[in-house]
Amino acid sequence: MIITERKPFDEILETLKPYTKVLVLGCGGCATVCLTGGEKQAEELASQLRLVSGPKKLDLQVEFDSITRQCDREFAENLKQSPDNYDCVLSMACGVGVQFMSQLYPDVPFLPAMNTTFYGAGVALGVWEEYCHGCGDCVLALTDGICPVARCSKSLVNGPCGGTNDGKCEVSSDMDCGWYLIYKRLAEKGKLDQFRKIQPPKDWRKDRGAGVRRMILKEMVEEEECQA
Amino acid sequence: MRDCDLTSREVASLSSATDLMEREWAPCRNGCPVHADVRTYIELAAQGRWQESIDVIRGRLPFAAVCGRICHHPCEANCRRNDVDDPIAIREVKRFVAEFCRSKGATVNKAALQDKARVAVIGAGPAGMSAALELAKLGYRPKVFEKFPVAGGISATAIPKYRLPRDVVQIDVDWILAHGVEMQTNIEVGKDKTIDDLLAEGFEAALIATGLAKSNVLPIPGSDHKRVLAVMEFLTKVAFDEKVHIGNDVLVIGGGNVACDAARVSVRLGAERVRMMCLENKEEMPAWEWEAREAREEGIDIIHRRGPVEIVVEDEQIKKITARKVTRVFDENERFNPQYDDTDVTSVGCDTVIFAIGQMADYGFIANSNVKLDNRGRLEFNPATHQTNEPKVFACGEIVTPPGSVVEACANGQRGAKAIDMYLSGRKIDIDDSLPPVIDKIAPGTAEKVIKTKRVSVPTEQPEKRKKNFDVFEHTLEADVAACEARRCMNCGAGAEVLVDKCAACLTCLRVCPFDIPKVTDVARIDSTLCQACGICIAECPANAIIPRGWDKDRLKSATTEALYAADGELKIVAYICGHRAPTVAWRGEDHRIAGVKQFYLPSMARLKVSDLLGAFEAGADDVVVVACAEDAERYPQTAARIRKRVNQACDLLSEIGIDGQRLKMFEVAGDADSIRTALDQALKEVEKTVS
Amino acid sequence: MNEPVSNLQQAFESGRFVFTGEIGPPKGINVEPCLQEAKKYLKATVAAVNVTDGQTAVMRIGSIAVSKMLLDRGIEPIFQMTCRDRNRIALQMDLLSAGSLGIKNVLALTGDHVAMGDHPEAKPVFDLDSVGLLQAMVKLESGTDFGKDMKGNPNQLDGIPKFFKGCCVTPCADEVEPQIIKLEKKVEAGAQFVQTQAVYDPGAFEEFMRRIEHLKVPVMVGIVMLKNAGMAKYMNRCVPGVRVPDEFIQRLSDVAKEDRQKVSIEICGELIRKMKHCCQGAHLMTLGWDHCVPEIIKAAT
Repeated sequence: MIITERKPFDEILETLKPYTKVLVLGCGGCATVCLTGGEKQAEELASQLRLVSGPKKLDLQVEFDSITRQCDREFAENLKQSPDNYDCVLSMACGVGVQFMSQLYPDVPFLPAMNTTFYGAGVALGVWEEYCHGCGDCVLALTDGICPVARCSKSLVNGPCGGTNDGKCEVSSDMDCGWYLIYKRLAEKGKLDQFRKIQPPKDWRKDRGAGVRRMILKEMVEEEECQA
Repeated sequence: MRDCDLTSREVASLSSATDLMEREWAPCRNGCPVHADVRTYIELAAQGRWQESIDVIRGRLPFAAVCGRICHHPCEANCRRNDVDDPIAIREVKRFVAEFCRSKGATVNKAALQDKARVAVIGAGPAGMSAALELAKLGYRPKVFEKFPVAGGISATAIPKYRLPRDVVQIDVDWILAHGVEMQTNIEVGKDKTIDDLLAEGFEAALIATGLAKSNVLPIPGSDHKRVLAVMEFLTKVAFDEKVHIGNDVLVIGGGNVACDAARVSVRLGAERVRMMCLENKEEMPAWEWEAREAREEGIDIIHRRGPVEIVVEDEQIKKITARKVTRVFDENERFNPQYDDTDVTSVGCDTVIFAIGQMADYGFIANSNVKLDNRGRLEFNPATHQTNEPKVFACGEIVTPPGSVVEACANGQRGAKAIDMYLSGRKIDIDDSLPPVIDKIAPGTAEKVIKTKRVSVPTEQPEKRKKNFDVFEHTLEADVAACEARRCMNCGAGAEVLVDKCAACLTCLRVCPFDIPKVTDVARIDSTLCQACGICIAECPANAIIPRGWDKDRLKSATTEALYAADGELKIVAYICGHRAPTVAWRGEDHRIAGVKQFYLPSMARLKVSDLLGAFEAGADDVVVVACAEDAERYPQTAARIRKRVNQACDLLSEIGIDGQRLKMFEVAGDADSIRTALDQALKEVEKTVS
Repeated sequence: MNEPVSNLQQAFESGRFVFTGEIGPPKGINVEPCLQEAKKYLKATVAAVNVTDGQTAVMRIGSIAVSKMLLDRGIEPIFQMTCRDRNRIALQMDLLSAGSLGIKNVLALTGDHVAMGDHPEAKPVFDLDSVGLLQAMVKLESGTDFGKDMKGNPNQLDGIPKFFKGCCVTPCADEVEPQIIKLEKKVEAGAQFVQTQAVYDPGAFEEFMRRIEHLKVPVMVGIVMLKNAGMAKYMNRCVPGVRVPDEFIQRLSDVAKEDRQKVSIEICGELIRKMKHCCQGAHLMTLGWDHCVPEIIKAAT
């Protein structure tokens, strides 16, 4: 899932400066699942904004709502009130949701309340870790299910650097060395030959190298889109 | 989606969150003959909301005060807490609530317009009065005819006062009459007036609810002796304070509750020796176990498995009774079919015999009317329609049902009223007796995780003292004790409900539940049979997709806002306090109130959300104090730890917006009243200091 | 056999035990002091001098410029190159630049993460890893590069550089096998010599050397001067794959301050003496005490 983290309150408040009537909009997708941008958090943020409104003489009127996903058109129909009724919408979705919604409602500013941080999974209650980088060229088959791109802080493709230390990364002793994990797993399974093979420099075109990415599913796509 | 799935749209269409509880019933309610909403009134009692509680009780049970004293409480027998430790003392809580509120403390919901047909109700016992009440509420004009000078039936005319004082019966009678039920006492239908007279006078229907007023007496030799007493006549005389000469050596024949009453009354009247004799052994005896036990405590011997043969009279005095051995009471089909061994006959000395072997109907009311008895000498009666052979004449209560308790009579009376309503409004009499599904017994794995609590013990006078008079020997609970006992309720079926359209299947509920109840497939499913209603998941759900079935989630916020609004000009301190073990009086804030602190007692602190805490500040609180139970005093496991985390989070959110996190404080002391006071006092002082 | 590309390569081929030194370029353009040091203490004593490339991710003058200045002063540089700050285009460009300036020895390194340095906000690049960087050198040496022309054919270089390609390894890492595997890959990718991370455990080093015997590349054991007990303890705590034995720490703390440098030199000499039989050289990292190099070399023989 896409992990999001709430922005510092002051940063949010700064972006709200020009507005009075604000909708805090939770997203029922990843942001809810990672417990940062669901309706509950929208309710809490709305409450914070109302609380700060008086002392800071901001005259904010804040409501909250949440929809199933902010990255799909149809769910917008479930909004209790149209975004057009507000001066701006503070979206608690990932960057995708914020942009998608502002495209749907071009007349209403959609502001991000969140920082979109990584693709991750919950490893324990309240703990999420990065598992995928979205590089567009998955090598997990070679590394036996542990991604060197996402889980090595240098995205190295041929093995650990000299910074690997007791299984941890040089960047932080809280961080596992991805290559240490890969090595351990391959060694355990007798598959070190996969490690021994030189990996050519990564083709970053599938990552961001070739600019904005797009996926077209021929069997689903409408005719015009296909030609475009 | 499953049929039982709930969406936010559906919830929005409900009039209140408590409607959800109607989807399934708890076993206590299902087991109650009138289906009183036990869970709700117990929860209200737990919160010290006595008047709301009595209104819920009376919503189904007109004889709330009477049942508070003498009900056989099937609710307790069905209580799911039986599988954890001991059932809630529901009857005792009800007794407190009913008598604390008395008749004026309960709301009277009179029909807006009472202009429908007049209905004559014969007999002012629980069945008749319940029927009359229902009819009055539906806009009919019922009038009850009672041969005794008081209403209440057996409750008022036979049940001994040490079990049921008259003023308690009067609470219920007054409340019923307040609904526009007319009453005429000292009039015996069949003697002073016939049923036909009533119909001729303009009553469009009549309801016979005369109960079983006459006692059975065994026609054995000697049974016509003047010292052989029929139990109902005996008890009625005592009930009306008539002088009754009791012998020195009393033998009560019978093993039911009425026999126990007779024996215990005899003891109180001064009989030197009182014994009971019955066909059944200890286990077979129809009396409630506690009735027989209390009788024994009062020195009454019970002779089991003996059937009387002859009352031996010498010099016009009863000397003894001979009795043969009973070889069996019930046959293979569990029908009453006693067999005797005539070779085994003993004699039991006595000078007075009281027959308490069951009651029978007095059919005097049919005199000079078209109402007929069938060939077995019973009232012709159709149980489906409550009608006799005369369509306008209905019957209900023990005259047409097997003998039972007050609450069962109430239930049958209510059913009779339904039949009359259908008949008089020209509809086919077709009574729907179907009930919602019942939640199952608590699963053993869940029961294990429920924190055990001790059932209240009712303060009771010692047998030596109580047997000397007719004073009530079981005392009413104190308010705080009643509420504490009510808080043992597990709120069965009032737990979490998932709004499937909002659920993101994030698994948080599953991960935080201390009872391991939620399952997550496509969405979270929380089995109402298992859920313990702690509310942890409700407060943690990131999608606000879990709601409590019986708890209005916005109530706390609005109550806080109102309280703070009213506190204009004062210091505004809000305290959310775990009500689980806190003293009850605090619930209504009377005695333990600390001036300047708006106190809210929660049934489960685990339901307190971070947004509730922020909301209190939004409502204008200067300071918010959270008083939770320490870990060893929790109602639900892990609550203290959860609350601590939420308070910390709320502090962070407050600090972030420039509100001093110190304005939100937490104390883990709700285990006892004094500590709560101290904590609140301390909080108040700190705030005063900061303000000055 | 081909002509040696550099003096360093020649030194290895001669079969003698080779010493190299190292200088850290300054933060700023005042390069004279470090060049003077190199001239004074290293020129005559070592075969070549490493020029670090923004060591520990701290921004400094570029290693290519300082390498060229050494070259101009008659000192053979080993141009250290990390993958942290440049993508494959910039790396290949700098390799061509180095080649054009006459810089021959290139040590390919991954580079410390930007998080460790003085610009933690910088975007870390790591487009290539050290293996890829070695491959880039081989590509350039073969007259082409990683790219293709408009028709999809390999690009052709106009003028081809030649390098003596080195790499690094940590022989005493807690988990040595992945280090060895990666070293094998580096050698396969074109590495011709190896300089190691600091070693203080001759036994472990000998074992390591035994395990890489098959690689047939000259290995220079890394010798980092222990200036005092505090530094030794710091290295144990913070430098991956380095374990300073208690004995050395004891010796450094026992000795009077004025004699500490002497002990330091002794330890270096001792270490080299213990390991020289199983390796081809020693890379001396004096951390500013370049004046000790002659004495260390003396102590090592």
